[in-house]
Amino acid sequence: MTVLRFDNVSKQYPGGHVALGDVSFAVDAGEMLFVTGHSGAGKSTLLKLIQLAERPSRGAVLVSERNLAKVRGGRVADHRRNVGVVYQNHQLLMDRSVAENVALPLILRGIRRGEISKRVRVMLDKLGLGERGHSLPSQLSAGEQQRVGIARAVIAEPLLLVADEPTGNLDPTLSAEIMALFAALPERGTSVLVASHDLGLVKRMKKRVLVLDHGRLADDIKPEELADA
Amino acid sequence: MPERASQRKDSAQSSRFGAWLDHHGYSIVASLGRLLRKPWATLLTVGVMGLALALPLGLWLLLGNLARIGGEVEASRDVAVFLKPAVDDARAQAVATALSARADVGAVQLVTRDQALEQLRTRPDMAAAIDALGVDDARAALPTVLRVRPRGDERLLADSLRALPEAERVQHDLVWRERLDAWLRFGGRVVLVLATLLGLGALLVVGNTVRLDIQSRRDEISVLQLLGARDGFVRRPFLYLGAWYGLASGALALAALTGAWAGLRQPLADLATRYGSAFALRGLDPVQALLVLAIAGVLGWLGAGVVTGHYLRQTRPTET
Repeated sequence: MTVLRFDNVSKQYPGGHVALGDVSFAVDAGEMLFVTGHSGAGKSTLLKLIQLAERPSRGAVLVSERNLAKVRGGRVADHRRNVGVVYQNHQLLMDRSVAENVALPLILRGIRRGEISKRVRVMLDKLGLGERGHSLPSQLSAGEQQRVGIARAVIAEPLLLVADEPTGNLDPTLSAEIMALFAALPERGTSVLVASHDLGLVKRMKKRVLVLDHGRLADDIKPEELADA
Repeated sequence: MPERASQRKDSAQSSRFGAWLDHHGYSIVASLGRLLRKPWATLLTVGVMGLALALPLGLWLLLGNLARIGGEVEASRDVAVFLKPAVDDARAQAVATALSARADVGAVQLVTRDQALEQLRTRPDMAAAIDALGVDDARAALPTVLRVRPRGDERLLADSLRALPEAERVQHDLVWRERLDAWLRFGGRVVLVLATLLGLGALLVVGNTVRLDIQSRRDEISVLQLLGARDGFVRRPFLYLGAWYGLASGALALAALTGAWAGLRQPLADLATRYGSAFALRGLDPVQALLVLAIAGVLGWLGAGVVTGHYLRQTRPTET
């Protein structure tokens, strides 16, 4: 089943800058892939289109076969609940505890309080943050903060997880840890799309890679082709 | 199976309602916490809003008290007919009876010289003067008066009473009362205009304060939106913040007015006593006070709602 499809998508910002031009690709359920390219290649714009933070100028973005052009008003929020997001700078709410941050997507879905506590505890234990539930994000290391960001992104079991340079500020060991967490998600049915300019990391993961260059899809490399490279 | 599905649906709905209530509770407490964490900024905002509310409210109270004075005058809208000295009590009674029978007269009260003298005696400052003058002379100096309560056009009635052969003078304060009524109507309009302008000012003050709060929490709002928060979820804490500002301002306005009332009540009562009146300055009753709080709270809520709505519209996905 196709979870995400870009059909000839272009995005031109006011002022004329073309961030994406005629990009087409599809992502299957339970697939993990990378989007790479130099700075300004269009990676962030691509992720914004998936989150409906922006709308395409031309073409169609489909999530679970639903054209996002038709998603309006309150449905935008519904769509975003099905897409987990991990940011390079974590984007945690600094005045709320780790557990409260992780609980947010469940609160937004109207899950019962008792159920939320249980699921947050399980998720924090799974990511090695069991003792940190009551801490504030500012009391955590960068790696721990990123794990909280991942916990928050996946706790509601979204169809699709998008990550924007999730290892950008982390050392190689922590980067490998975070990638291992992402790699485990497709087994639970979540498709994962990671934007990264770290080519070494991308090659080590041996997953499908979309290469963007000046907003164009320059290459779509299958895992086996990557192994040969 | 359908039964189980229906139970699941009910459970999901009650859970969603519970989460909604939870978030209201969280928003109420969190927004109050934000106010208390910045006491000086809060005090300044509440001070400006409170004074903006207190001014029209104070004027409204003043007008209410003036209207009461006007009401007392209105209650005595009788036309006073001072009879000629030659008219004795029996003749005066006959005139009163004849007037009572007229269609344009509601009631007639005859105040004889003896009754007028008794009334004067009840005033401590006059009793001594009557004694000094002598009762007979004092009695002779007083007129017999008919107090005629009009039914219908009092101006026409006053004119017809002037034509009575027994009447020496007819006193009718219609012009004065009409002027007072006009001033009261004008004052009421001034209060309305001031209340609208200053209410709008209070709305802008709270709107601007909430706007600054929104600016300081842009990242947080953006994260919540990307996690799938609906507008209502994002807006709620700011609405409560606005309502708290409004309620605090309303309370401050009430406190200022109560202070002013307490300070003015006794001196005014003393002044009224000097004029032989039992007039007492009236403040807000508990229902009116609650109404003021409710209106102030709604003003704050509205100000916050307008600003938050504007901000949320700006954060919609852009199309080019």
